[in-house]
Amino acid sequence: MVLTKEVHDKPIVSSIIWYRVGSRNEELGQTGKSHFLEHMLFKGTDRYRKGEIDLITLQQGGANNAFTDTDFTAYYFNFAADRWPVALEIEANRMAHNLFAPEEYEAEKEVVEEELRIGLDSPWGALDQAVWAAAYQQHPYHNPVIGWLEDLERATREEMEAYYRQWYHPRNATLVIVGDIDTKQTLSRVQELFGPIPAGPEPKRMGICEQPQQGERRLVVKKQTEVERLQTAYHAPEVAHADSYPLQILATALSTGKTSRLYERLEERDQSVTHQSVEYTDRIDPTLFTIRAEVKPSRRTAEVERAIDEEVDRLKQSPLSAEELARAKQLIKARFVLGHEHLANQAITLGYFETINSYEYLSSFFTHIDGVTADDVQRVARKYLAEDNRTVGYLVSHGARRQ
Amino acid sequence: MSTGIAPRLNAERVELSNGLTVLLSENHALPAVSISAVVKTGERFVTDEMAGLGSLAGELLDDGTETRTSQQIAAAIESTGGALATTGSYATTKVSATLLSSDLDLGLELTADLLRHPSFPEDRVALEVSKRRAEIHAKQDDPRHVASEAFNEIVFAGTPQRRPVIGYEGTVAKITRADLLAYHRQFFAPNNTVLAMAGDFSAAEVEHKVRQGFGDWGRDEDLRLPEVTRPERQREPITRFITKDKEQVNIFLGHLGITRGNPDYYAIRVLDTILGDSPGFTSRIPRVLRDEQGLAYTTYCHTARSAGIDPGRFVAYIGTSPENQARAIEGLRRQIELMTAAEPAVAEVESAKAYLTGSFVFEFETNEQIAAFLVQAEVHQLGFDYLERFPKEVNRIAAQDVLRVAREYLDPHNLTLVVVGPVDETGRILKQAEPT
Repeated sequence: MVLTKEVHDKPIVSSIIWYRVGSRNEELGQTGKSHFLEHMLFKGTDRYRKGEIDLITLQQGGANNAFTDTDFTAYYFNFAADRWPVALEIEANRMAHNLFAPEEYEAEKEVVEEELRIGLDSPWGALDQAVWAAAYQQHPYHNPVIGWLEDLERATREEMEAYYRQWYHPRNATLVIVGDIDTKQTLSRVQELFGPIPAGPEPKRMGICEQPQQGERRLVVKKQTEVERLQTAYHAPEVAHADSYPLQILATALSTGKTSRLYERLEERDQSVTHQSVEYTDRIDPTLFTIRAEVKPSRRTAEVERAIDEEVDRLKQSPLSAEELARAKQLIKARFVLGHEHLANQAITLGYFETINSYEYLSSFFTHIDGVTADDVQRVARKYLAEDNRTVGYLVSHGARRQ
Repeated sequence: MSTGIAPRLNAERVELSNGLTVLLSENHALPAVSISAVVKTGERFVTDEMAGLGSLAGELLDDGTETRTSQQIAAAIESTGGALATTGSYATTKVSATLLSSDLDLGLELTADLLRHPSFPEDRVALEVSKRRAEIHAKQDDPRHVASEAFNEIVFAGTPQRRPVIGYEGTVAKITRADLLAYHRQFFAPNNTVLAMAGDFSAAEVEHKVRQGFGDWGRDEDLRLPEVTRPERQREPITRFITKDKEQVNIFLGHLGITRGNPDYYAIRVLDTILGDSPGFTSRIPRVLRDEQGLAYTTYCHTARSAGIDPGRFVAYIGTSPENQARAIEGLRRQIELMTAAEPAVAEVESAKAYLTGSFVFEFETNEQIAAFLVQAEVHQLGFDYLERFPKEVNRIAAQDVLRVAREYLDPHNLTLVVVGPVDETGRILKQAEPT
């Protein structure tokens, strides 16, 4: 799939290639491979030696990077418009001709393990990992995107190369090009470079599922900390599900801005937290609706949890006011527009939705948001924000002397 | 080697009779606008006893004015879907807003009100102080932050820059509404403020609106800005180890840096790009320590990034497993030494220059970036011709210039070293990483 969009107001071009493979596709004992593979795609191909992709980017005054998540792996380049096609040459080459030199593989394994440790050292990293692992028992969303340390250590170069051969094909990829381009010329260059690459096998269907949760799960993570943290996660529907739109409104009304319910309750009235947030990210499979709070040292986490529950109950008992509903819709729509000032973000949005659903999702997004009623929001609050459907995690001090 | 597509910018500068500098740049790519109003005050004008006052004042600007409550301000801006933020940092205090262009009038009206008439209500002050005190504790959980703050404490010794911008728990706890009002009276004046706007508007119309909103803000004829103590570069090595129960050691190595006005700024940008601040892992430190040796996920080094009104810091960073500590520190030292020992290869210099000039266009992509540039141009007197001048300045730099500035601005023998992680106060490792 190739998506292009001409934007001529600045002489720059963003190109991103998306592979529909992420931690969601990893099997038992093989976690972290998608992300590790992303690292290896900078370590040398039959045409670009190790470091050369970065060197070309440097010399051409561009930027490149890559990111891996549960459902995808993506690689991007931003270049000035007079030289951007070098990005196409690189992506076409490394889609099929990446090398996995043993010494590069071993050195990069150390780098990935350091990245994993950064995550564990970050205040929210360890708790987030524990909550996802508890919320999903069968589905690979159970596993951290970066993988489990033991799986990383055991992984071999040969397995990595096989994984690459399995998932990196035109048939499993979306190429997005946005910016100061001529569409016709661009498509013909894409055809020239990617046309000769075999389409690849039909991507393996994962056959993964998660049984409905049958009761609340609770967990505690202990770390050296002076500040306790709370993370509550409810199972919630996947991208483009009819209920996903009212849930987005719900997330915004709960937590975005100083007029939101949780800000007013926790930060202003109770003054019990330093901050709170709600996250509901679109994914291929049913995902989590997550509420987080960082608790002040003088306050009790159980008390904060109770206050959040009261606010959630209030949403179940009575609908949002017309003003709250309108404000949430306006916030979602305006931030969508304002977020696209960076050309790269336009390319990211297109590729992201094409990879997890369809780029056409975007053409009806505003209509769907506009169509949500206060009753819809109340209904989804009752349906999904239920005690039996959630995992509650606390991060607490491991009791050592305060440093 | 290509020199890059030059960014274009139509900018207009007006100074109102009360001294307010107004910078406007039309950009019709999207129906959106960014406002950035910057008062040239911050923690640098605050005494040690009041540490945190400047940042707290900045944060509280949208917490109530003489005619609007915090809730009214929030409701007004959030109902448009726009975003407004107020912050106080080391050298500047800022009201910034990003809005759909149809809401520009509201944005300007709020910006004027927040800058001119903040009331710092008692209850909001208490709320923010309490939150700030908790945040000071929460930040202790971030080892990189702890290391960075400890590094500043040493490198900027004797100056306000050594302090955390958010202050200390002891100082923040004592800040009152009266302190905030006094601080506002002393430093917030049109003749100490720059208002920059970029986006989908007509500059002529906006200029008229700005005159309406800010024209009657009285010039402060008595504005006196305090002298700020200049830090001195250390003359001996200083080392500090801080114990934290973590997986990694976070290492900072460096010393005092340069001001933005330093004539060697452009040579130092080239030096940074060669040594430790480039895209991917092309510069020496990430290439050797990450890409070749696998010591870290994150490692970098730079000087120009923190250059401001006051000198910033020359700083190298690496986060690594405890058992790699000695190798990592040695590796950073070695790269700094090599930089001062010999001229870089011509190819390195040319690549760095191509990068700096070629990527310059990406600094002007959004309205927010353009507004931020306009403010920088004013504060550091870069001039709007900076867009043409920057590539020329960079292209003038040769390998011998890079060696000269490396020798002048990097001193491998007198470095501050801070390590935070599972080590004792002598640097001995307290915990081994799991066997691999």
